[in-house]
Amino acid sequence: MSQLFQEAIIISILASTIRIMTPLLFSAMGELITQRAGIWNMGVEGTMLTGAFAAYLVATATGSLWLAVLAAVVAGALMGIVIAFMTATLRVDHFIAGLGLNLLAGGLTLYWFQSYIQGRPQPIFSGFQDVAIPLLSDIPVIGPVLFSQRALTYVALLVVPVVWFLLYRSRYGLELRCLGENPKALDVKGLSVSARQYAAVMLGSAMTGLGGGFLMLGFSDRFLADFTAGRGWIVIVALIAGNWRPKGVLVAVTAFAFLESLATHLQVVGAQVPHQLLLALPYLASIGLLMGLRFRSGQPARLGIPYARE
Amino acid sequence: MIVFERRMEANALWTLASFIMAIVAGLAASAILIASTGANVPDVFGALLQGSVGSPKALATTLVKAAPLILTGLATVIAFRAQIWSIGQEGQVFAGAMGGYLGAQLLAGLPPVLFFPGVLAFGMAAGMGLGWIAAVLRSRFAVNEIISTVMLNYLVVYLLSWLLQGGPWGETGGTVAYHQSPMLPDAAFLPALFGSSRLHAGVLLPFLAAAICALVMSRTPLGYEIRGLGYNPEALRHKGVDIARTVSVIMMASAALAALAGAIELFGVSHRLRADNLIGLGYAGIIVGMIGGLSPIGTVFAGLFFGGLASGAVYMRVLGDVPASLVPAMQGITLFFFLCAGVLARYRIVMKVAVQ
Repeated sequence: MSQLFQEAIIISILASTIRIMTPLLFSAMGELITQRAGIWNMGVEGTMLTGAFAAYLVATATGSLWLAVLAAVVAGALMGIVIAFMTATLRVDHFIAGLGLNLLAGGLTLYWFQSYIQGRPQPIFSGFQDVAIPLLSDIPVIGPVLFSQRALTYVALLVVPVVWFLLYRSRYGLELRCLGENPKALDVKGLSVSARQYAAVMLGSAMTGLGGGFLMLGFSDRFLADFTAGRGWIVIVALIAGNWRPKGVLVAVTAFAFLESLATHLQVVGAQVPHQLLLALPYLASIGLLMGLRFRSGQPARLGIPYARE
Repeated sequence: MIVFERRMEANALWTLASFIMAIVAGLAASAILIASTGANVPDVFGALLQGSVGSPKALATTLVKAAPLILTGLATVIAFRAQIWSIGQEGQVFAGAMGGYLGAQLLAGLPPVLFFPGVLAFGMAAGMGLGWIAAVLRSRFAVNEIISTVMLNYLVVYLLSWLLQGGPWGETGGTVAYHQSPMLPDAAFLPALFGSSRLHAGVLLPFLAAAICALVMSRTPLGYEIRGLGYNPEALRHKGVDIARTVSVIMMASAALAALAGAIELFGVSHRLRADNLIGLGYAGIIVGMIGGLSPIGTVFAGLFFGGLASGAVYMRVLGDVPASLVPAMQGITLFFFLCAGVLARYRIVMKVAVQ
């Protein structure tokens, strides 16, 4: 293999790592906000799927990609209301609520999708294209990897420091983390726990839905059943692996994206491995990662425990 | 002012009323969903009813569709009663079919009295292997069972995909790969009941399994441990119960039931290994078990209800207009209202006069 070819492959692997990473990053930061507020939301997969479907529907119906982005955000927030209603108001077990949401989202999106396309060829749309940043994108290696990506990719990379600032440097973030660690402290101060949980879950789920929408608008042109294919669960694994901290989650998401990018490229290069094994790599890695993890110091103390005033 | 007050103990009548309200609300929401896509609601419900109980043939299809759902529902009951949130039923159904198919290769030629128990045991063993892995991940490595079972589900689905496409079990006709195995020999078809070609003997197994589950849950030490693990694992541990071992037993028993669903689908319905007719049985089983109130008897009724819906959906699709995915959508909606009803059942509604 010539050196030039090798270099091109490496650049391509890195560039697609960033590309694969960013939809996950939106969803992971959203789920981080939700879980730091003490709600163990297992409905990431369903929320991403709904966001992706809403984006598809609006993109094909109106032709406007930015309206489709908005639709994904709104759909995510609506799913957040359902989760908050079940966990904060009804105090259903958080795991059950999330599983229920996934099953509901899977059924509803498939039904609406099949009704939408019934009796005609599936409408498709053309999604976001790369936006090369002038000058910066001309830098060798770094340019094509970092500065020649979809517009929303740049936003996703900025979301990490923004979420960090929100959580650790703002009054809102302090209260939000308090929800996860010691909600009673808020309650005795006369601040509503339930209202803050609703706000946190809606904000988090809106971002999670945006992740699903970006997955659709950035990298596909059509919807299909099980479109998100387990990415919502990868997000949850990344959260645990990242020890519930923005930087840790960023590293974990990057690692998963790198793995997926590597698998795709191995296929392209024509490695003699069954492609199903390559597709299965992220899931194998997840199990291995969770087996090896021993520290969970960052897990919010009241994560997954419904708050009830006694 | 109307307030909700927590009940000290459950009131049977009020509980029943809550769940009836949930069914009504679920049907109403489904009607809205159907109307939202422009279909005629009475026509759709009429077709569902006709296709599920409208004729002996429809009833037979209902039973055939209900059988795997009851089994995966029972798998859910056993695990969830112990507060083990395993959602590995989906992968275990696949494992059951794959294990059964392997068994059929190895046991071919045996007389039916040995062959069928043998291949079903192969299927169940494959499922139990998966259940055991999830149990070890939970007990020894503290991996949350929801996440581990989801990951295992994906791994099993990819394994089947490889076996049928590129692997040893695929059927190839000329240059086309069909993503399915060749047909099993006639001797490997589960025999039909009453000479009807549709209704295979395997539909009896879920009812037998439900009876055994009900008995085990209420009358045996294992049943006591399952319920105890759900209520108060700490007390159980102090009583000297080996929690890790109990978790293994529960997850393997649950997995065996789900795998049986996959095996009877293979030998009773599809007669060849393919993913199409296995997809979703495990996830639907979670809904069936939960709507059945996590009781074996309730699960049988919930399974028959959703089996009827699935059978009706086949009929409905022939009539046109409404896609068959109405069924999973209705399942999700009904589950949502049942979760709400479960909460409602624990409260009483009280009118209070405000004191000045």
